[in-house]
Amino acid sequence: MALTTWALRKSLWVYHVNAGACNNCDIEVLALLTPRFDIERLGMILVGSPRHADVLAVTGVCTRQTMPRLQEVYMQTPKPCVVLAIGSCANAQGIFTEAYHMGATVDQAIKAVDPEAIILYVPGCPPKPEAMIAAAAKGMEFLKTL
Amino acid sequence: MSVTQPGIDTPLTGFVGEVLEALGDLVVDIEQCGPRRGIARIDPARTIEAAQKMSAMEGSRLATATGIDVRDGIDVLYHWAFEPQGAVVTLKVLAARPDLAVDSVATVIPAANWIEREMHDLLGANFRNHPDMRRLILDDSWPEGVYPLRKSFDQVADRPPLPPNQSPPDVDLNAKRQGRS
Repeated sequence: MALTTWALRKSLWVYHVNAGACNNCDIEVLALLTPRFDIERLGMILVGSPRHADVLAVTGVCTRQTMPRLQEVYMQTPKPCVVLAIGSCANAQGIFTEAYHMGATVDQAIKAVDPEAIILYVPGCPPKPEAMIAAAAKGMEFLKTL
Repeated sequence: MSVTQPGIDTPLTGFVGEVLEALGDLVVDIEQCGPRRGIARIDPARTIEAAQKMSAMEGSRLATATGIDVRDGIDVLYHWAFEPQGAVVTLKVLAARPDLAVDSVATVIPAANWIEREMHDLLGANFRNHPDMRRLILDDSWPEGVYPLRKSFDQVADRPPLPPNQSPPDVDLNAKRQGRS
């Protein structure tokens, strides 16, 4: 394991991208930071810039307007970068899949700019904070294999 | 109190009746007049006058406006709320084909500005003399002249192509989307 990868999985920094969510998933992401769930004990912290981030926590359906911006944010994130597609909408556009304003799904949009992207799916509407912690733990396990 | 306006069968009762009566001959048809809900069609040539009269009434507020794609054009519905009385009065104006145009009330009611822009975006209703008719809610890559909430627009089949990918196109997102839908 490279030194950088070893260091990386000790301290995953998270950037939160809202790609057209209803805010319910965002509230659950916020709950991760509260003392009850406290992801900082796992070395994770929310940061204010994708250039500082190792994990993109993407919520929302990925609308036509946000799709190019999501791709831009992904490209600005240093690699290796784990994408957490949080919620039914980010997984497969949920109930909005046949609406006129849909872009591609989050995974398709990101794989269009990087076919090798690491994408973890967290289903639920909204997913529980425990589910997001489980996804982050799986992401850390995956980073060990790099 | 119950009176009937000439040419209109629905009796005007209660507070909503008083409001519709005060509009006088602006009202061309009354579809509903209950104790707390009224729906009336007004003369399309005099929307501004109707809006001025409504906003001058005590306790009135333009709650929102909605549009419906109907056979003869686009129905624009201005919903006026009277909160002290708990009543809502809807004034319908038809933006008739072929130009789908109706006078904008945003010049006298600033609250109508954005909702008229939204109706222009989604349904293609044209508001004459609107102060600022820029695109409001459709995305930047959406083509001009495509109105997604028209009845003739199929939400899946008529979607315009997606904006191009940010990097070299390994994956054609439009092709993927066609296969899915």
